[in-house]
Amino acid sequence: MARITAGVGSSHVPLLGVAVDQGKTRDDYFGPIFAGYDWTREWEQAEKPDVIVLVYNDHASAFDMKIVPTFAIGCGERYKPADEGWGPRQVPDVEGHADLAWHIAQSLILDDFDMTIINEMDVDHGLTVPLSMMFGTPDAWPAKIVPLAVNVVTYPVPSGNRCWALGEAIARAVASFPEDLNVQIWGTGGMSHQLQGPRAGLLNAEWDNRFLDMLIGETDAARWIPHIEYLRETGSEGIEMVMWLIMRGALGAKTRLLHRHYHIPCSNTAIGHIVLEPAE
Amino acid sequence: MTDSGPTIGPMTGATKPSANIHEYLAELEDIPGTRVYTAARARRGYHINQFAMSLMKAENRDRFRADQAAYLNEWPLSDEAKGALLARDYNHLLDLGGNVYFLSKLFSCDGLSFAEAVSTMTDMTFPEYRDMMLNGGRSPEGQRSIRANLAASEKGN
Repeated sequence: MARITAGVGSSHVPLLGVAVDQGKTRDDYFGPIFAGYDWTREWEQAEKPDVIVLVYNDHASAFDMKIVPTFAIGCGERYKPADEGWGPRQVPDVEGHADLAWHIAQSLILDDFDMTIINEMDVDHGLTVPLSMMFGTPDAWPAKIVPLAVNVVTYPVPSGNRCWALGEAIARAVASFPEDLNVQIWGTGGMSHQLQGPRAGLLNAEWDNRFLDMLIGETDAARWIPHIEYLRETGSEGIEMVMWLIMRGALGAKTRLLHRHYHIPCSNTAIGHIVLEPAE
Repeated sequence: MTDSGPTIGPMTGATKPSANIHEYLAELEDIPGTRVYTAARARRGYHINQFAMSLMKAENRDRFRADQAAYLNEWPLSDEAKGALLARDYNHLLDLGGNVYFLSKLFSCDGLSFAEAVSTMTDMTFPEYRDMMLNGGRSPEGQRSIRANLAASEKGN
């Protein structure tokens, strides 16, 4: 049977992709950010996940305002890196796992999550930057990807509670897939940042670290954080952190911390990264 | 009348009291220096954002650069929105329902980095903004609530 063996949380700032693509990951600015991912890159090489359910948000690349799905799952065979206005990133195409993705999609719908199904789309930095952070620059990505896109732009975005519950349902769906697969779930985005208005540039290291604390162990306090708290404390784009709760919810009642990293700043944003595994 | 309307089946799964949408939306407007991209803004700014999205295509960028006003005239935009777009007045565009992820297509078209474009919405120059970020960013202290700030200033008077 398939099983979820670990969860990864990570920011997905586009500038990190630029640093990888231009070979700047060890310079004075980016060095401390990437050093915090060294542990994870080695760990991933040993773990060799077959599939990653990658929770991210599209940044006006695959979707525009014509259609705004709250939760959408990629059931396609293959996804190309999106052209975000300066040409697509020169990274490998993303290979889907259509069998598992369709199984998850069907299971979630039967489990009362009314998913939008995507057969074709390009994937932007929200999805490819975490792959670069965790896998470096291989010729082909070493795992298949099930993209799970969340609306965290147009309000109301889904609640933390709903995201957590979706994670729980994803774990049930994966557990009922007959093939023996090592599946990870990644929650991406955040941490504190605000990209708009006179309050732009807001960062909140104290709050971000409390949030990381709340992902570890038995507490489910994070699922009850209301939108307004993210907005007030972590900036208008800090709301992306609800996507980490899908990852956390999928890991079950209790987690164990494997690795943690935090760094300020990357461009406008606080970088957070955590690796967790389900604990009995 | 004995008809009591459609029968509602048993509740399943977790339930919680419905959020009060009016309180929810009012709180979103209570954050200093912030325009949350609410449904109302998304509706108002629809064509601003779809215009910005069109700049994802190289041929549209070329046409826009060649004659900005003419390109904008192809879109059902108000004169106010056209003016704000031509002036790159991003705070004004947020007020008109622009969203930063869409407006960023215009940043890219102008060759501006995200951080530089964002800095134009603050009261800082780009070097000042960059230094603030390198020094830990803007603190949320005193920036959390318009109502709380107002109450504090009235108390102080």
